[in-house]
Amino acid sequence: MYSDYAYLIVGLPVLAFVLTIFLGWHLPKGGGFFTVLATFGGFILSYGIFKEIYPNEILHQSMHWFANFNVGILIDPLALVMLLMVTFVCTLIHTYALGYMDGDHGMARYFAEAGLFTASMLGLIFSDNILQLFIFWELVGLCSYLLIGFWYRKPSAAAAAKKAFLVTRVGDVMFLAAIVLLYNNLASLNLTLPPGEYLLQFKVIYQNVAAIPPDQLTYIALLFFGGAVGKSGQFPLHVWLPDAMEGPTTVSAMIHAATMVTAGVYLVARLFPLFYAAPSALLIVAYVGGFTALFAATMGLTAFDIKRVLAFSTVSQLGYMMLALGAGAVVGAASVGVSIFHLIGHSFLKALLFLCAGSVIHAVNTNDMREMGGVGKYMKYTAMTMAAGGLALAGFPLTTGFFSKDEILVVAWEYGSATTDFIPYILGILGALLTAFYTFRLWFVTFTGEPRSDYHKHESPWIMLGPLMVLAFFALFFGLGAQEPFYHYLESNFEHYDVNFEALAAVGQHHIEEGEAAHEPFIIKILPIIVGVGGILLAILFYYPRFRKLDTRKFTTENDPIRRILLKGYYQHEIYTAWFAETVVYGIALLSNMVDIKIVDATLNKISETTVAFGGSLRKAQTGIIQNYILAIIFGVVVLVVLIKLWLEVSI
Amino acid sequence: MIPLELYILLASVMFAIGLYGLATQRNGIKLMMCTEILLNSANINLVAFSAYQPNVNGQVFALFSIALAAAEAGIGLAILITLYRLYGTIDLDNINAMRW
Repeated sequence: MYSDYAYLIVGLPVLAFVLTIFLGWHLPKGGGFFTVLATFGGFILSYGIFKEIYPNEILHQSMHWFANFNVGILIDPLALVMLLMVTFVCTLIHTYALGYMDGDHGMARYFAEAGLFTASMLGLIFSDNILQLFIFWELVGLCSYLLIGFWYRKPSAAAAAKKAFLVTRVGDVMFLAAIVLLYNNLASLNLTLPPGEYLLQFKVIYQNVAAIPPDQLTYIALLFFGGAVGKSGQFPLHVWLPDAMEGPTTVSAMIHAATMVTAGVYLVARLFPLFYAAPSALLIVAYVGGFTALFAATMGLTAFDIKRVLAFSTVSQLGYMMLALGAGAVVGAASVGVSIFHLIGHSFLKALLFLCAGSVIHAVNTNDMREMGGVGKYMKYTAMTMAAGGLALAGFPLTTGFFSKDEILVVAWEYGSATTDFIPYILGILGALLTAFYTFRLWFVTFTGEPRSDYHKHESPWIMLGPLMVLAFFALFFGLGAQEPFYHYLESNFEHYDVNFEALAAVGQHHIEEGEAAHEPFIIKILPIIVGVGGILLAILFYYPRFRKLDTRKFTTENDPIRRILLKGYYQHEIYTAWFAETVVYGIALLSNMVDIKIVDATLNKISETTVAFGGSLRKAQTGIIQNYILAIIFGVVVLVVLIKLWLEVSI
Repeated sequence: MIPLELYILLASVMFAIGLYGLATQRNGIKLMMCTEILLNSANINLVAFSAYQPNVNGQVFALFSIALAAAEAGIGLAILITLYRLYGTIDLDNINAMRW
């Protein structure tokens, strides 16, 4: 019964968007409850569908659109868990926003855009073909632009929005190129499709991947990955994510947890059979993921802005998800489950962390951790929930983050032992250590010690604390309860499409691992625990006033080159913005502008000038004296009559 | 019965008068009167031909044409009055604001 209304999962938030944007100004709280209710309705529907089709069915509805394209809804295990997560987390974030955004003049605009953002992400998830997915993908990009630049009167927010849009655009162009290339290759196979199946549907793509020439396949996979790199903030297109902190904190929570950056991981997971058949692409996925995981974590060490620390941590965690997918070269489709499990767990805990940070910012009115300190005394609930999120992110045993990250590292180790390439694994382990460290640096600096500035000492309202507690519960216990069935459920994802992974492995020249990979040494099993707990302990020694044994000043000084590189974020601003954007791109823009004015426009101007001059000389024929016109008419008629008469005479 | 040729002769004489007036006059009112004469010469032709054939189409058509001529005269006069208010003259040679 719920399945018949699957389209409403997107329809309700869109409806909320329309209602809020037109009527929100006249309603209390900017009509935000429309968005909350619509998203919650989406969750109810998704849950109903989950009850109906779990564990052996998928839901597929599709109709013809134009030419050989279609629009459709595909809810398989992969899409289903994403739908549940997005609707659930977004409902909580929107509820929280009712409290957080209270009093802002743009509340109606905020909730309208947030509703559209949710709708686009949900549409992206349940698309049954790559073209429809791309349309929603672009919508997600648009909404992120609108929301990051929500306080558009602030120049830094406007600049951040523009940066996010332009940087993700680089990825989007690659995505579009990948679709074109894929379509070309599929079309050249001359498939005869049964009615109801279309060329760009995932099912058709999965089944025909093996027939595409391997070199083409590698290009396609790399271009798709380029799109994912842009959206999911992987190196080198991660620069927009920390800047995206200019938006309201709830927007950051939405972007980082549920609606935007997960899209890239989802895309790679969705097209996993295609990547599986292109081993060099998968290798790049693993390396980019591993490198990003460590790279972003190092930048998180020195940031002072509470939200920027969390942003770097998101980039880093997304790197882990990509790493897990890349390791799929060895473990096969199981890596999708591992990656998506981390994605879901990360959504809970990152939404939680951002909302906690928002709660702190709400009270303290600054993002700078150097001005906080001792906040925990006045905000007990926020401090506790944030500690829960921090533990989960750091991978403290038995929390959600522990299970998911542990599994990713195990997969990375298996990848290493099968290919003797342990670099991704090492990057992952180092990243995990740093993750635990910077998370608790954040927590201790913010919540313990003495207040370092004069801020409002009050706890946030219950409408904000409620979602925090729900999220804290999930961040701590989701992994414990759901891990095993989750892996099994997602591993079955590609069985619904008869994807022949052995044939694909032959195309991709993978080693198919023999037997269960339960033979990793003991040290590999406990190493994630050691680095997780070790990172937390280090943070305690450095930053918790009561146990402070180590002083940061002994290890680094103001002039330490490494510290300065990290503080400057590896000079990314200098390289990307100051050098690349403002020198190279601006120079090219100037050159193009000159070509445009001097050549293209000049030609057109010359043509139009000639036409105008010619018209000016013809204009003299119009004397404006009626008598002249009448004489001309009489003359013309006489000539006509004479001619017709003559013609009649001659023809007779 | 009056022969058809006389009607046609009358019509062509009226047509020639109208045309002559249009070509020589400058006054807006006179020009409009000439236009009316031209139209009426055509109407005479229509009615005459229709009377000499067992067919009333021509007469119906003439009725339409008269109604149209009335409307045209109304609009034309209104334009001329406005022109007079603006320029203080209806000599069309002097009304040349949009001429090159």
